[in-house]
Amino acid sequence: MGQLNADACDVCIVGVGGLGGIMAKQLASAGLKVVGFERGPAPMHEDYAPRDSIRFLIRPEQLEWVRNEPTTTRKKTGDKSRLQYRTSPLNVLGGALLHWTGQSSRYMPADFKLFTNEIESGNAERAGADLTGYDIIDWPLSYNDLEPHYERFEWEFGISGEAGANPFAGPRKRGFPLPPLRHSARMKLFLEACNKLGYHPYDTAAGILSRPYRPTEPFDARIPERPACVYCGHCNFYGCHVHAKAATLYTTIPVALETGNFDLRTRSKVFRINTDSDERVKGVSYFDAEGQARELHARVVILSAFVFEHVRLLLLSKTSRGRFAKGLANSSGYVGRNIMAHGDVRAMGAFDNYIINGFIGPGSAAMRIDDFNGNNFDHTGLGFIRGGTIGTSGDGTPVARFDVLPPDVRPWGKEFKEFYTRHYTRTMDLNMQPETLPHKDNRVDLDPHHRDRWGVPLPRVTFDFHQNERRLQKFMASVGEKIMRATGASKVWSEEKGRPNRWAGGTRMGTDAKNSVVNKFCQTHDIPNLFIVGSSVFPTMAGYPPTATVAALTYRTAEYILAQKHWFD
Amino acid sequence: MDSINHRANVLTPEESKILAAIADRIFPRTETPGAVEIGAVQYIEIALAGDYAVLAPVYRRGLRAIERCAKAKFRRAFCLLSEAQKDEVLVDFETGAVPGFKLAVDFFEMVRCHVLEGVFCEPQYGGNRDMIGWRLVDFPGQQFGYADAYINKRVDLEPVAVDSSKPQEK
Repeated sequence: MGQLNADACDVCIVGVGGLGGIMAKQLASAGLKVVGFERGPAPMHEDYAPRDSIRFLIRPEQLEWVRNEPTTTRKKTGDKSRLQYRTSPLNVLGGALLHWTGQSSRYMPADFKLFTNEIESGNAERAGADLTGYDIIDWPLSYNDLEPHYERFEWEFGISGEAGANPFAGPRKRGFPLPPLRHSARMKLFLEACNKLGYHPYDTAAGILSRPYRPTEPFDARIPERPACVYCGHCNFYGCHVHAKAATLYTTIPVALETGNFDLRTRSKVFRINTDSDERVKGVSYFDAEGQARELHARVVILSAFVFEHVRLLLLSKTSRGRFAKGLANSSGYVGRNIMAHGDVRAMGAFDNYIINGFIGPGSAAMRIDDFNGNNFDHTGLGFIRGGTIGTSGDGTPVARFDVLPPDVRPWGKEFKEFYTRHYTRTMDLNMQPETLPHKDNRVDLDPHHRDRWGVPLPRVTFDFHQNERRLQKFMASVGEKIMRATGASKVWSEEKGRPNRWAGGTRMGTDAKNSVVNKFCQTHDIPNLFIVGSSVFPTMAGYPPTATVAALTYRTAEYILAQKHWFD
Repeated sequence: MDSINHRANVLTPEESKILAAIADRIFPRTETPGAVEIGAVQYIEIALAGDYAVLAPVYRRGLRAIERCAKAKFRRAFCLLSEAQKDEVLVDFETGAVPGFKLAVDFFEMVRCHVLEGVFCEPQYGGNRDMIGWRLVDFPGQQFGYADAYINKRVDLEPVAVDSSKPQEK
C-alpha cells in the first residue's frame, strides 16, 4: 500500500464496500491519490468463508460487521423507534457484495421513466391506482446512458446469463461473459410451469461464475482469475468460500491497492463531511482504528456507504448557519426523503413425490419471469401500478427453513416433525420482488434518542408500505401461487404481506435541484465536489434488485469525475 | 469450542429439566430421536452462556411461568404432566393465554426457534449430535460442493460437518 501524505488526497471515498471498491479501482488506476475509509475490518478468508449457518443466518447481529452500526426503525411518525441490526449495509471491507445472492438484473428501459410512463401516459388512471402521498419523478438519465456501464460491470465481475432470453430486457451491445449456471430441480419445475402458462422464463443474470473467469481487454485484465461455482448452497448471507461470487474484496480492491495510489483505512469511521465555504467540501473528519478523531483534506468526497449512512452523514454535517444549516446538499429539503424497499412476498409449494434438494445452490441459479414486472402487463382496473420480477428461490440449510410450512401444519410437535423430516428436501419457493413507490411518509433522519458507541446519533428509518404496495403485493402473491400450482406441487400457499428488503432512496437524483439531491452524475446539486453513489440516489426502484444498476452508476460517476481533469491540476 | 464439554451453568438443574421437557414436545422423540437426544438443550445452555446471554433472564422468567401455569392448571410440576397436558400448557403460551405473563407468546416462539436451531445447527454449536438432525431431513451438511444437481433424487452423500472455529485445510 502506497504511503501517501497523511492528511490530504485527491479523492476521499467513504465506505469501501461494493461500490467504493469499484470507485477506488477506477480512480486510483487513473493516477488520482485516493483515500478510502471503511468503518469495518478487512476480513480474512476464515471470517467470511465458513459454511456456518448459525454464524451468518441465525446470529448475524453477533458479527462485528453488523453489531456496531445498528439503525433504529419505526412504521410511522409518532411511533417509538427501536434498535434494529441490519445485514445491509455490511460494515466490512467489500461490503454487502461479500454476502449478496448475486441476482444481477439490469433495469428495463421503462423503469427509468415512471412519471412519463405511468402518470403522464394515463396508465395510473386506467389502472384505477390511488397515488395519493406518492412523489414520483423520472430518472434524469436513461437506460442507454447506463448500457455501457452495465456492460463493464458484467464483464469485470463475470456475470453468468443468457442474452436475448428475456423478451422484456433492454437492448445490449454484448452478451454475457459466461453461460447460465447449472439448472436445479426448482428451475426445471418453474421453467415447465411457466411454459405451460405462456409466460417467458429465462435464466437469472447471476453474479456467480458458471466457469472459471478472468476479464480480458477491453475490460480490466488486471482482475485476478477466479474459479467456477461449486454449488455448495452457502451463498445468500455467506461469503463465498471459492470466490466464485462477484465481490470487490477479491477483484477490484486488490487491483486498486496494486496501483499504489489507494490508501485504505479500515476500522475508520467518517463522522462528518467538512466544508470550507458555502460552495465546496474540503474533506472529512473520522475516527481512526484507535478511536482518535482526525481530519483529512480531499478535493472530492464520494459517499458510498449505503442509504442510511448517506442521509445520516449529510444531516450530521450541517453547519450552524448559512446554506448548509439543514444539512449538506439539502437546499431542497429532500435529504432523507422517499426511501423505498421492495416488499418481497413468497409463494411456496410442497411436493409429495418430487425431490427438490433446495439446499444445493447458489440462490441466484434461478429461473425468472418479467411478465408481471414494471408495465409489462395490462393494469386496467387492477387498482395499482407497477409490478415485480418473479423467480425461484428456496435455498437454505435446515436451520433456516423450519418456518416454510403450510398454514395447516402446526409449527411444533409430532405433526411438525413428520412434515419437516419428509418435506425439507421437497419444498420450493417463488420469490416476488414487488416495486415500492416513493412515498412522502417514508424517510430517514437522525434519531433524537439513540446514539452509537461513539456517541453519534443513529439513523432512524420511518417506513411502511402504502396503498399501491399492498395491492401489488397481494396480486404478486396470487400470481406466484398460480405458477406454483402449475409446477404440480401437492400443497401451495403464500405470504401476501411484503417484508422490506433492498433499500433505496433518501438522496434521489433528478434534473430539478428543488426536488432532488444529486444530478445524473451522482453529483450533489448544491456542492460540485461531493458525490453520492448507491441506491440512495434512486428516484424509483423497479422490480429488480439494485446491484447491477448501482454498479453501473458507479462506473459512470467515476468516468465523469475523471473527465474533470482541471479539478486535480 | 471447549464449552461443549462443560455444560454452562446459566440455568439451574430444575430449570434445565423443564426446558428439556419443553424441547421434547417441540421436536418429540418418535420412532426417531427427538430434540433432547439430539442435543437441543445443550445447544441452548451454551448459547445462553455466550451469544444469547442477554436472553438468560427471559428464559428464567419464562420457565418459572411454565411451572406456575402447570401447577395452576393440573396441580403438578410441568415435567410430571402427561404429553397431552404439557401440550395444553404450551398451547396457552403459544396463544398468549397465560394470565400474568405478557411475554408468553414471545417466550414460546423464542424457545421453539432455539430448540429447532439446536436440532439443525452445525454440530460445533453443541446441538445436532452426530448430525442426527441433518440425517433426519436428508441434508448432507456442509459439503464443499455438489457435482450433480440431484434433480428428483436423494443425495446419497455421507453428511459432513466442518468446525469453523478451527483452522481449515485449504
